[in-house]
Amino acid sequence: MWGIYLHNLLDSFPFFLKGLWVTIQISALSLFMSTVCGFFLGIIRSTRTRSINIVLAAYVDIIRGTPFLVQIFIVFFILPEWGIQLDAFTSAVLSLTIYGTAYICEIVSGGIQTIPRGQTEAAVSSGLTWPQQMRYVIVPQALRPILPPLVGQYVLMIKDTAVVSVIGLTDVTRVGWFTVQRIPEGILVFGLVGILYFLICYPLVWFSNRLETMLSTEKSGLG
Amino acid sequence: MLKTFNFRVIFEMMPQFLHGLGNTAWICLVALIGALLMGIISCVMRLSGKRLISFPAVAYIEMIRSTPLLAQLYFFYFGLPGLGIPLTETQTGIMALSLNSGAYTAEIIRAGIVSIPKGQLEAATASGLSLFQRLRYIILPQAIGVTIPALLGQMIVLVKDSALLALISVFELTRAGQLMASERFMPAEGFFTTAAFYLVIYFVLKFLSQQWQKRLIFQQDR
Amino acid sequence: MITFKKVNKWFGPLHVLQDINLDIEKSEVAVICGPSGSGKSTLIRCINRLESIQSGELYVDGIPVHDKKTNLIDVRAEIGFVFQQFNLYPHMTVLENVTLAPVKVRKMKPEHAKQIGIELLEKVGIHEKADSYPAQLSGGQQQRVAIARGLAMQPKIMLFDEPTSALDPEMINEVLEVMIQLAKDGMTMIVVTHEMGFAREVGHKVIFMDEGQIVETAPPDDFFDHCKQERTRLFLSKILTH
Repeated sequence: MWGIYLHNLLDSFPFFLKGLWVTIQISALSLFMSTVCGFFLGIIRSTRTRSINIVLAAYVDIIRGTPFLVQIFIVFFILPEWGIQLDAFTSAVLSLTIYGTAYICEIVSGGIQTIPRGQTEAAVSSGLTWPQQMRYVIVPQALRPILPPLVGQYVLMIKDTAVVSVIGLTDVTRVGWFTVQRIPEGILVFGLVGILYFLICYPLVWFSNRLETMLSTEKSGLG
Repeated sequence: MLKTFNFRVIFEMMPQFLHGLGNTAWICLVALIGALLMGIISCVMRLSGKRLISFPAVAYIEMIRSTPLLAQLYFFYFGLPGLGIPLTETQTGIMALSLNSGAYTAEIIRAGIVSIPKGQLEAATASGLSLFQRLRYIILPQAIGVTIPALLGQMIVLVKDSALLALISVFELTRAGQLMASERFMPAEGFFTTAAFYLVIYFVLKFLSQQWQKRLIFQQDR
Repeated sequence: MITFKKVNKWFGPLHVLQDINLDIEKSEVAVICGPSGSGKSTLIRCINRLESIQSGELYVDGIPVHDKKTNLIDVRAEIGFVFQQFNLYPHMTVLENVTLAPVKVRKMKPEHAKQIGIELLEKVGIHEKADSYPAQLSGGQQQRVAIARGLAMQPKIMLFDEPTSALDPEMINEVLEVMIQLAKDGMTMIVVTHEMGFAREVGHKVIFMDEGQIVETAPPDDFFDHCKQERTRLFLSKILTH
């Protein structure tokens, strides 16, 4: 029995690869866009302007306080009611981006706030404008505390792409879901799905840990 | 848009939502206990010096952390029947949640234990306490105080993760919203109400976590 | 050059600057001293609006710093500020630290800025460290780089906020020597410090502050040898007996 299942599974392998490609596409797009938006919002959030902070804090709390599944449902099922028709792929990238931006915003803002005030004062005193201060003095230094949690967030988002399978996108998880209807060996099928995710995610997890140790030794380093 | 928001139907469906909420609540509590168990066991295994014992723990933690919860859920949901293990959807869900959260809990506990100054462990060992005694009297009490906020955070994650159980037909909070969307054709009312419930849980847990942290700081200032 | 007219500042309920009236002329070297919490750091930080004042007027080279409509970049470009904690940018080399502002604020060409930068580093005695990073330098070296960074904008005024307080004793002199040379070259300087030797050598006036007020102002010799106020006498007796 297992022999036949294994054989069928290997036959389906191309479909898994196709699904993996969809997963990679969705991941890459949403990772990129949420990084751009997250950095932008995070820099703004670090200014601690009262009115902006209230809005951004509400946004972050809503995203952090509700399951991603519910967020996808809202984007996919409710936007059409407001006249915005999006296909599954765009909905997936959109909801993942909205989700990721909230977290990355916090990571970036948190990183910036670890930079000692004296750096800002020195930059201000020499006449640099706020955008110049951010670009040349603050953000380059903030990258150090930002990078490890950022990579960690990337891993979380790649895993969350599995949830987009519920709106019909044929990613790796959905291919597994289809396959298991034909080959009722859940362990084999989702074992394979797991391995495919593992191959993408584990290197990133390892890299994030590596970054963390690398960057913390540099700090205590020279002098 | 809010004008067309059908509050009356939400009111009608409230029993359903509350039923779903109740299920979400006890599922998460049971899963949290399971996660704590898994977490403590795998953490202790991992911190033991012996490769034979620590390796399975490390493998478990890394596999969980590098694969999506949904894939793990489907793994058990579709895989267990094949092995002749007949669990209900709810039981399967709780098991998957426990195993998943357990891995992250193990890391949280490990971070808490590692944060205890080494000098204390050395003093404890020097005074002749066994591993079990060191754990019980020195390590765990201190690790717990630091760990509680992180654990509350993990509880928040668990509540959000439990939403995935809707996909294997468990009747919890998200499924209640889903049914309102599919049976009453009111996705907005359904999912926004669901979201609102989750937000309430989130803010309550967040508040509890902040209160605990304040209490910790108060204690340390003695 | 710098004028304080009835300046007041509060930090919440704390009245940190009380009715400050002060005039600093061009090429004058003023030393401000006083116990901690007296408001002396706050006072010079108001000059380039690192802190803002709540009442009164503050003019730098005729420009009203207290006016919200004033373009602060113009003011700050003419003032070099040296911090107690140096505040060098750790991710840039020494030379990059010095040339950043001239290139970005004065829109100088990078090569020209580098040239000026190296000249300034020679002047403070560290041009051989131009390509090193701040973390590789001692405290005294870092502070000298900070002075060069302040001078790079070719400012009219240099402000020093306890420049040697964070240094190990053996490095204090190398920094003071640079500052003394600057004073002799005619720079307008306001220095918050406890280094009274510096005040005696190049100071034109010494200002004693206590609890937010200017208690006494006098040329160094009068100040140290014939001070008028009791509080001043008390303070001097505390710091000069070691």
